[in-house]
Amino acid sequence: MNSFRFLSKNIPFNEGESIAAALEAAGIRQFGRDAVGHEIRYFCGIGACQCCLVRIDGVIREACVTPARAGAHIELVGADHE
Amino acid sequence: MNERDVIVIGGGPAGMAAAIEAALAGLSVDLVEQRPTLGGAIYRQQADGGTSPVQSKMARQRFARLSTALAGISANMRFSSVFLGLDADGFVLIENRQIGRIELIRSRAIIVATGAVERILPRPGSELPGVSTAGGLQVMLKETSRAPQGRVLLAGNGPLLLAVAAQLIRLGNPPAGIVEAGDPLRAAALSNVGLLSHPALLAEAAVYLKDIYRAGTPWFRGTRLTRIEKVDGALQATLCDRHDAVRTILVDRIGLHDGIQSNRIGLPAEQTRTGSAPVVVRAGDCREALGAVAAEADGRRAGLLAVSLLSGIATDISVAERAIARQRQAQALITRSFMPVAGGSHLASLPDETLLCRCEGRTVGDLRQLLDRPDPISDREIKHNGRFAMGLCQGRFCASNVAELVALLRPDASKPTPDGLTGQRWPIRPVSIGALTRAAPEDNCED
Ligand SMILES: Cc1cc2nc3c(=O)[nH]c(=O)nc-3n(C[C@H](O)[C@H](O)[C@H](O)COP(=O)(O)OP(=O)(O)OC[C@H]3O[C@@H](n4cnc5c(N)ncnc54)[C@H](O)[C@@H]3O)c2cc1C
Ligand code: FES
Repeated sequence: MNSFRFLSKNIPFNEGESIAAALEAAGIRQFGRDAVGHEIRYFCGIGACQCCLVRIDGVIREACVTPARAGAHIELVGADHE
Repeated sequence: MNERDVIVIGGGPAGMAAAIEAALAGLSVDLVEQRPTLGGAIYRQQADGGTSPVQSKMARQRFARLSTALAGISANMRFSSVFLGLDADGFVLIENRQIGRIELIRSRAIIVATGAVERILPRPGSELPGVSTAGGLQVMLKETSRAPQGRVLLAGNGPLLLAVAAQLIRLGNPPAGIVEAGDPLRAAALSNVGLLSHPALLAEAAVYLKDIYRAGTPWFRGTRLTRIEKVDGALQATLCDRHDAVRTILVDRIGLHDGIQSNRIGLPAEQTRTGSAPVVVRAGDCREALGAVAAEADGRRAGLLAVSLLSGIATDISVAERAIARQRQAQALITRSFMPVAGGSHLASLPDETLLCRCEGRTVGDLRQLLDRPDPISDREIKHNGRFAMGLCQGRFCASNVAELVALLRPDASKPTPDGLTGQRWPIRPVSIGALTRAAPEDNCED
């Protein structure tokens, strides 16, 4: 099965799945905190709310509309989990 | 430069139908979709290309018809491409995420079909992880054919909650409950006989209700979800019924949904005069949120309108317009059936700590404080001084709630509009300045 890295974890995914769906399957629902301190997480699923932003190979993208890619490295946009 | 006749933004039923009509009339068509696949919110396909088992037979047939027609024409598909806006020189800005750059395209006409967003009322705790929109849960289950793990509560208002509940049941995880502010089974709603002239809608509802009844899923009607708290790693929802009786329920996931509204913030204005500026036509739920059948008809209408504006040949849009009118009538009847019954305004009763704008961390208390002054405050000041409807989502989720709450708090002043609060601005999606300054007319980067 394909996988990408989320912080230091390997996350498996099915071809074509979004990053958010793969993280959800791995039990990860919180992607750090944003500038005002709220937990970053999946919400609308359609790229509209901007609440699910992550850094994918250095580029900030919505986890919900971005397909997972083998070997990608995903980091948090803001602060880490406390 | 290579100018297109028509660029269609959005690959849902409206965009697909518009592209088909324009291409059938001989126009060159590009279709821009942010996702890697077609289908939009309703015909979302499984990630591996297979058909999701949660799609109804009727939905599958409608999508198959559109897909076959689209395969038969020569539209240029641009997937993983986000429409950012139309600049003053008439260039369409597209962020092509496959190659990581912004493209500028010229087109004689632009058909915007970006769909709807869900309406979500503020509730204390709705910013917590594990809380999403009900449609967001649905998107994920259509894409993966897996139900979310754990106990799921669906709450808010409207028929979409029933659809998502039935889909969760089909995937083997019946929801812990459906919390519905309206009561479509009360006498006044049942006497809504107009719905009898929409048998397809009633048949769809009957299938959902049968599945929900069989699974034993409780449907709490006339009830509102008023608060969400984290308790022992789970989510505790407080429910308040029409007699103000309060109870709590412990779950792992909550899907909220209080209706559907057009996703039109920042979109270019309609422009139906032909001249130097491109024609702009809106189609589907982003023009008027009336559901999938209307969206397809409205896409046909928009495609035909673009054809007549560009070629000067008269086209007949009356059939499409009649179909849209019929769906408008159906939606009005549904809205009436689902009218919230719980007393008092949800917005007026929110405690001060409730987040109104998640992006900027602005609360109900912040808004009350901002308005608590003798001289009137303008809509623009509410945004610029109060930082409401100002964040990354550009007000898509908060602007309508802020506008309504301002009207409640300031009944004697004019009611602000969501558009007045947000202003019309682009890019409609945050984009890096670096990427924008590297933007190039498309022909320069096709080497
Ligand atoms: C989350 C959600 C779930 C829904 N579920 C149902 C349901 O189960 N049943 C039902 O009857 N109705 C449902 N609806 C209502 C639905 O919007 C309509 O029924 C129908 O899908 C509208 O068709 P459309 O073509 O106008 O828009 P959509 O189907 O929403 O299509 C719009 C398309 O535009 C794309 N897009 C948006 N912005 C951009 C951009 N800037 N750049 C490029 N592409 C963009 C989107 O990715 C999408 O594919 C749902 C709506 C939402 C928001
Ligand atoms: S969940 Fe809303 S943009 Fe991704």
